[in-house]
Amino acid sequence: MGHGWAVKIMEWFWPEGFYTIAMLATFAIGAFSFRLPIAIAMSIAAITGALLSGSGIPLRHLVEGAFGYLDTILIIATAMIFMKTVQKIGLLEAIAAWVIRKFRNVPLLLSLGIMVLIMIPGMITGSSTAAVLTTGALVAPVLIKLGVPAVKTAAVIAMGAIYGMIAPPINIPAMIIGGGIDMPYVGFGLPLLVCTVPLAIFSALLLVYPHFKSRGNDEKALEEELKRMETTRLSFRLFLPIFVLGILMTGERVFPEFWPSLGMPLDFLIASLCGLFSGSSWNPLNAATEAIDDALPVMGILMGVGMFIQVMTLIGVRGFVVVSALALPAWLLYVGIATSMPLFGAVSAFGSASVLGVPFLLALLGRNEIMVGSALSLIAGLGDLMPPTALAGIFAAQVVGEKNYFKVLKHCLIPGAVTALWGIAVILGANYIASMLPY
Amino acid sequence: MNYQIKGSRVTACILLALSCLVCFVAAKSFTSMWVEERVYPVEEFQQKKLSDYFSGIKGTPADQPVFIQKGEEEGGTVLLLCGTHPNEPASNLTGVLFLENAKVERGRLIVIPTANIMGFSHNGPQEGHPQGYFIELADGSKRRFPYGNRLSNPIYQWPNPDIYIHPSSGQNLSGKEKSNLNRCYPGRPDGSITEKMAYAIVELIRKEKVDLAFDLHEASPEYPVVNAIVAHERSMELAAMVTMEIEAMGIPIRLEPSPKNLHGLSHREWGDFTDTMPILMETGNPSQGRLRGRTNEDLVVTGKDKCYSRAFDLGKLYIPYDGDQPLSLRVARHTNAVMLFMENLEFINEEKGLTVEGIPDFEEIVKKGVGHFLAASN
Repeated sequence: MGHGWAVKIMEWFWPEGFYTIAMLATFAIGAFSFRLPIAIAMSIAAITGALLSGSGIPLRHLVEGAFGYLDTILIIATAMIFMKTVQKIGLLEAIAAWVIRKFRNVPLLLSLGIMVLIMIPGMITGSSTAAVLTTGALVAPVLIKLGVPAVKTAAVIAMGAIYGMIAPPINIPAMIIGGGIDMPYVGFGLPLLVCTVPLAIFSALLLVYPHFKSRGNDEKALEEELKRMETTRLSFRLFLPIFVLGILMTGERVFPEFWPSLGMPLDFLIASLCGLFSGSSWNPLNAATEAIDDALPVMGILMGVGMFIQVMTLIGVRGFVVVSALALPAWLLYVGIATSMPLFGAVSAFGSASVLGVPFLLALLGRNEIMVGSALSLIAGLGDLMPPTALAGIFAAQVVGEKNYFKVLKHCLIPGAVTALWGIAVILGANYIASMLPY
Repeated sequence: MNYQIKGSRVTACILLALSCLVCFVAAKSFTSMWVEERVYPVEEFQQKKLSDYFSGIKGTPADQPVFIQKGEEEGGTVLLLCGTHPNEPASNLTGVLFLENAKVERGRLIVIPTANIMGFSHNGPQEGHPQGYFIELADGSKRRFPYGNRLSNPIYQWPNPDIYIHPSSGQNLSGKEKSNLNRCYPGRPDGSITEKMAYAIVELIRKEKVDLAFDLHEASPEYPVVNAIVAHERSMELAAMVTMEIEAMGIPIRLEPSPKNLHGLSHREWGDFTDTMPILMETGNPSQGRLRGRTNEDLVVTGKDKCYSRAFDLGKLYIPYDGDQPLSLRVARHTNAVMLFMENLEFINEEKGLTVEGIPDFEEIVKKGVGHFLAASN
C-alpha cells in the first residue's frame, strides 16, 4: 500500500516536479548568489527549464512569452511618465500638503487620507509599483516626520499600493481571472471595494494611526516640510493633466460609438503633455527619462516573467502546479488558495492570477463568480509582497531607504495574513455578500 | 558574488547586436506562419470570396475564400463556419473534411474553413502552443495544418481598449474580446477589422438566405459548456431532435439554450439579426485548457495528457476522459452532429432539406483517423 502510493507520487512528480524545482532553484541562485537582475535570473531559469525538458533554447517561445506583457509594459511606462509629470508640476505635493493640513489634528482621518492617497495611482493604473513610486514616495517623508518608523512606513506604502492595485476601477488580476472563463470585467466595482476598503482601514489603523496619536513635538519640522510642499498652489490649471486623463478615459466608455479608442498608453501621454500648460516650469524630457529609468526594472521583470510562464506552459510545469493545487482535499482548498497564490506571486502577481486564479475560480463555480474573482485577485495581489520579486515591497523599502526588505516584510505579515483571511472569507460568503450589494 | 557589469558604449553595442540577432531569428519563426492554409476541395465546390458579400473587407487580411456547392435538387442552404478560434483545431479540420469529401445532392452547402483567418497567423503569448501540427494521411504521408490563436493577430488590430463595449447591445467585455470574432457579431461595416469580418459573415447569411448555420468550436475539458450544442430559440426544436439521436448513439452531449443576455456570440446574434437557425457546437480540447501539461503537437493530435488524467480522477472535468481525447474523435463528433442536423432539417421545413453524400460516419473517422479522408498535400 505504502509502496503503491510512493510510486503514484513519483509518477506524478516526474519529470514536471523536477523541472519546477530546477527552474525555481536556478532563479534563486541567479538572483541571490549571483545577484543578477531579477529579469535576467528569470530568463535564465526559463532557459534552464527548456533545456532540461529537451526543448533546446526556444527563442520563439521566449520572445512570444515576453510579448504577453507588451500592453502592460506600455501602460506602466506611460503611467510613470504621467505620474512624474504631476509630481514635477507640484500637484502631488500640493494635494498631500492639503490632506495633511486639513486632517493633521484628526489623526484617524489623516491615517485614512494618507492610505487613500497611496492607493489612488494603483487604482488608476492597476499597478502597485506606480503607487509606491509616486504617492508612496511622496508620503514617505511626511509619515516619517509624523513619527512613523521607516520600516512601518514602507510596510503601509506596500500594503496601500497593493490595495490600490486591487481597488476599482482598474484591476488587472481580476481582468485576467475573469477573461479565463469568459466573464466580462463588469460589475466588479463594489465587490472590489468590499475586498479592499476594510483592509485599507485596518492596515492604516494598525501601522500608522498609533504613531500619529502619540506623536511628539515635531510640529516645527512638519510645518517646514508642509510649507515646502505648498510652494505650488492648488489651482484649476494645476489639475489640467488629471482632468484631461479623466475625460479621455471616461469619454471612450461613455461615448464608444464616436469617441476614438486611443488606448490607455496614449491617454497617459496626452494627459502628460497637458502638464506643459499647468503653469510650473519642468523639463518633459527629463521627466520621461526619470520615469522610464524608474520603471525599467519592473518592465524587465515582466518580460522575464513572460518567458518563465511560457516555458512553464511549454514543458508542463504549469499544469503540474495547477493540478497539484486543485488536488488538495476540499478542506485544504482554501488553505491552498491562501498560500499558493501569494507564493506564486514570487514569480508575479499577474502570473499567479492567470496560472492559479482561473482554475481556482473554476473549482469554485456555483458561488458568485464576480465576488470570488474579486477575492482571488486580492489574494493574488499579495504576491507583490513575496520575495524575490516583491514589486510593491522592495520598491517601498527603497523609497524609505531601507536596504533589508525582510525588516519591512515583518511588518507586512499581520496585514498580509488578514488580507488572505479576508479574501477567503469573501469567497466563503460570496453569495451572501453579493445579495447584499445594490446592483 | 555580484556580477553586475558597468555599462559602456561597448556593452551597449554588444547588447544591441544581440537584440538584433534575437529579433531576426524570432521574426523568421513568426513570419513563417503568414501563409494561407491550403485546402483541396472537391471540384463541385465553387470558390467565392467573403468580400463578395461586403466589399469593405476587399483587399484586407480579413478577406478569405468561401466555398459553395449546389446539389441538383432544390433544398435548404447550410453554412458551416469553421476556424472561428484557430486554437480549436477540430473546427477547422471538420471544415476541411467536408470540403474534400462532400457531394451535395440536394440543397446548398457553404463552407468557410478559416473563419478568423487573421488568427491563424500567430500564437497566443504564454500559451506555448505549436505553430502547426501534422495529420497522417491514408497513404502514410503527413499533412501539416496551422495552429493559431483565439484572437486576430495584433499586427492587424492593435491596441484594443481596456473595455470592449459591444456596439449593438452596449454590453461590456474585457478589451481583448474586440479581436475575438465570436464576440463581435453582428459586426459593423465601419468598425474594427474583426467587426467588419463579423459583419461580412452576417451579410453572407442574409444574402445567401442561409437556413441553418453552424459555428464549430472546441472548449477546455474543465469548462462547463463542452461536448455541447448551444442553440438559439429558433433552432431549439431541431437541436433537441438531434441531441436525442446523438445520445441514442451512446455519444454524450449537452444541449444548452443560447443565453439572451450574452451578446456578440454567433448563436445569439445570427438568430437575432438574420432569419437563419444558428447552432454552435463544442468538443473537448485538452490543448487549449489551463490544466494541460506538456504542450506540443502530440497533445493537439492525441489529447493525451497526464495532468488531465489526474484532473479527471479529481472530478474536475466536464468530459469523459480516458487518458486521451484524439483530434479524430473530436472531428468525428462535429461531423456526425452536422450530418444529423442536415438530415433532420427537412422535418422542420420539408422544402429545406439537404442531402450530402461522401462524408464518413462517426465510427469510420474514429477508427481510421481523420487523415484517412483528407487529400494529400501537393
